[in-house]
Amino acid sequence: MADHSTTDDTRYVGQAVRTIEGRAPIVGAARYTNDFVFPGQLYAHIVRSPHAAARIRRIDSSGALKVSGVVRVLDGAEAAAHLKPITHYIDPAVFGGKSAEVRVMAVDDVWCYGQPVAVVVAEDKRTARFAAQRIQIVYDVLEPVLDAEAATAPDAHIVVPGWDSNIMMQAPFRNGDPDAAFAKAAHVVKTSVDIHRFSTQPIETRCYNAVWEHDIEGVTLYATAQNPHPLRHVLSEVLGMPESKIRVHAPVIGGAFGMKMHGHPEEALMCLLAKLTGRPVKWTETREECLLIGAREQRHHMELALDADGVILGLRDRYFANVGAPSACPGWGMAFLTGLTMPGPYAVRDIDVQMTVVITNKPSWNAARGYGKESTALALELAIEDAARQLGMDAAEIRLKNFIRAEQFPYNSPTGLIYDSGDYSGAVLKAMHAIGYEGWKARQAEGPKDGKYIGIGVAFELTPEGGALPGTMVAGYDSSSVRVAPDGSVRILTGVTTPGTGNPTGIAQIVADELGVTMDAIEVTQGDTTTCPYGFGNYSGRSTIVGGGSAALAAQQVRAKVVTVAAALFDVPEADVELHRGVFSVKGQQGRTLTFKEVCYAAYTGAYSVAHGITLPLEATATFKPSNIRHTPDENGRINPYPSYSNAAYVTVCEVDVETGKTKVLAFAAAHDCGRVINPVLVEGQACGAISFGVGGAMFEAIAFDSSGRQLTRSFMDYVMPRSEDLPAVKMVHHDSPNPVTYMGLKGAGEAGVGGSAAAVVNAINNALIPLGVSLNTLPLSAPNVWGAIQAARKRGQREAAE
Amino acid sequence: MDDLLVQSVLVQWRVNGKLHEIEAMPGMSLLDAVREQLGLTGTHMGCQTGHCGACTVMLDGRIVKSCLTQAATLPRAEIVTIEGLKRADGTLNPVQQAFWDEAGFQCGYCAPGMLLSAMELLAEHPEPTDAQIDTGLAGNLCRCTGYRSLVRAVKAAARKLQDTSGQTPG
Ligand code: FES
Ligand code: FES
Repeated sequence: MADHSTTDDTRYVGQAVRTIEGRAPIVGAARYTNDFVFPGQLYAHIVRSPHAAARIRRIDSSGALKVSGVVRVLDGAEAAAHLKPITHYIDPAVFGGKSAEVRVMAVDDVWCYGQPVAVVVAEDKRTARFAAQRIQIVYDVLEPVLDAEAATAPDAHIVVPGWDSNIMMQAPFRNGDPDAAFAKAAHVVKTSVDIHRFSTQPIETRCYNAVWEHDIEGVTLYATAQNPHPLRHVLSEVLGMPESKIRVHAPVIGGAFGMKMHGHPEEALMCLLAKLTGRPVKWTETREECLLIGAREQRHHMELALDADGVILGLRDRYFANVGAPSACPGWGMAFLTGLTMPGPYAVRDIDVQMTVVITNKPSWNAARGYGKESTALALELAIEDAARQLGMDAAEIRLKNFIRAEQFPYNSPTGLIYDSGDYSGAVLKAMHAIGYEGWKARQAEGPKDGKYIGIGVAFELTPEGGALPGTMVAGYDSSSVRVAPDGSVRILTGVTTPGTGNPTGIAQIVADELGVTMDAIEVTQGDTTTCPYGFGNYSGRSTIVGGGSAALAAQQVRAKVVTVAAALFDVPEADVELHRGVFSVKGQQGRTLTFKEVCYAAYTGAYSVAHGITLPLEATATFKPSNIRHTPDENGRINPYPSYSNAAYVTVCEVDVETGKTKVLAFAAAHDCGRVINPVLVEGQACGAISFGVGGAMFEAIAFDSSGRQLTRSFMDYVMPRSEDLPAVKMVHHDSPNPVTYMGLKGAGEAGVGGSAAAVVNAINNALIPLGVSLNTLPLSAPNVWGAIQAARKRGQREAAE
Repeated sequence: MDDLLVQSVLVQWRVNGKLHEIEAMPGMSLLDAVREQLGLTGTHMGCQTGHCGACTVMLDGRIVKSCLTQAATLPRAEIVTIEGLKRADGTLNPVQQAFWDEAGFQCGYCAPGMLLSAMELLAEHPEPTDAQIDTGLAGNLCRCTGYRSLVRAVKAAARKLQDTSGQTPG
């Protein structure tokens, strides 16, 4: 447990308040998207390609149409006649890349295994599934490209017809004079890091239920959507319908982590089917379908130039991101962020990083928690570990030597980012202390026991949050409304959404303090494009920064109104009116009080008397726009898309059984800097969740394919995620440095932790295996992979001994 | 329509104390029956392969994965779902209360299954060790919390149940 240090118990902010949205799920009353059923409800089943690369020669739907209960069958060509290509969430062309025309279902060419090819709509889901088997599709199967580097070969199969190569984008992130840095280096350490494909897999899969609104000839889409307003914009373009006729309603979401950002074909497809049938059409993703959504697969060829003392002079990295088939989802942008956030927390100025984003015949990526910054952390931290090992340095020592120092903030990174604040060395030292670093080192020095080797891993992660990309619907600002009714009850409507992270409670805490009411007076509404102010939803750890920040500003405006009215009622100057937790009082005059409700009712009914001086109703809408995002390029063409730079240090101890390759995390400590903490329990929950992603990604989770590009990972039997017993207790310490420009110093708490904790685990396992001469930088470090590496090292040793 | 033309089976279940008669199609899971026939949507689908536990319900006093249980094979059954856990006066039972108080969950999607597993665990081990909690929750995946808060919630629930001893969970 963290040290839940709170100071001021007259405020809700800083306290471990119980979530306001938490009661519904435990009584079975929370309504997730799949829980909605409407009169006349139809169900869709999608037929997907069993091939990774193919040309569709013929689709015969007649068999399906004969099944009683089938209402409509549609193939890709027919859908394309009704729908425009899906608008890209982040168009690669805006960043100098190639953008493909992405259709909701394959037209002529199949790009990947699992791509939608046809859809059946029926009275019930069983009939739809049954009829789908009766669609006959003839394919000409082609040789797929599956590996990113191989896909760049001149004779490789071109995934997108008409492209000259499979390279979607190449970009350098360069600064200073890296060649000179390498020329004068005492050591050059080369490390290849292979980050595998793993994804977020929320327990609630995606679901869309489109309802045709006959009265306005519009559509309402109930959707597992993190970004309802921007999704509405995409739907309006794809459907060719004004935004005013479309409503996106994102009810309670059962976890998202980036996967429920839009661009998915099923969104517009369900709207089209509702329009064509005039009835509600629902599609619920199976887990097998959900596992098709990839992320993170990158190969880095890292080189570090170091002086004799272990100071990093320069960094080179050639990395290839295998983003799979083209998609309108924002997943590919992760690859860009990986380069942009190099060299992370380290004070290296001379860098030469070359990004290559490659399209292949694997299924597409979507955004995944960490958004590419987890890959930066993995590549950097594994390379630095390698350097420490080769130079014979302590893992912590080499990092402490190379961190940006606390007094250097705000810090201009070599890629143009402006880091707001931090104390990286302090965080690492705190995490080391929390885990008992020296004690574990002493235990490690005693040597292995019963074939079990112990290793200690250190890693750091810098996680810029609250991002804004120019020319895209990834915005840095957001808005909230605060509405107070005549009875004094409060409704907050925000443009940010929650995928279950607790931000409604955090925002309510902020508003309760700023407005001067009790928490139980507040309800929060999110995720409805018709009622909420235009907003950008949930991504990039932004929801409390901009949702909370804007709600605070709106609450302040409403407070000013009610204080004016109270002053008139008390007949005292406004400066003498106090308001706390729903009670107005007069400074220095005991016993003179009014309730919040009395004042609100007086305001609504006293427009020509006590409320004469204010604008009714008791409502305000405000926007929070962090001031330090910079989209005007500097002299080197660089921008700063982030207001906030969360960071965290991780130290772990792992045990490796060298006979089985099985690994176990024995201890875990984290020191987290997420700025000001609104609710320590929620922040800690976020951090522990991210750590479980990191541990799972490092040790078990992987999406695998056969050589023909068919995905082998199809259920939770194959995609192994951590269970309770797999995760250690986490010693969390806060090492917060408030962000100077955000509301109350918030930095964002949702994203950080995936890469840092994964890297710490990998480093600990490799550290344990030093005596065996094993160093494994191809992830995941699953038992078979670790065992294989140990066996290979043993054989190598035997060969060398024989020679 | 081959496999669709098979006969449905009339089953009689007491669900959360109320008697229901439903037509169960062969192949229909208990999960679908509970959600779609009875409209009890607090029980969730996460995988349909028995791995995630989001669909956990109590069947004749034991927890089961409703996605793997065939509705038509249960002519008579006593079923408790998340909707049936509140006490008669509408207040939360101690395990529910502990889950909420301790922020045991985040998005809440896994929570109904976790709660039922926790209740069975606490009925068997009123003062569970960490290892017993891990085992008790081994059939349930949570993607949000990293489980530490769930373990904390189960322990808090155990304490609450001890305080109000004499009461069984639920
Ligand atoms: S839905 Fe039944 S175990 Fe996952
Ligand atoms: S709280 Fe979201 S899956 Fe457990």
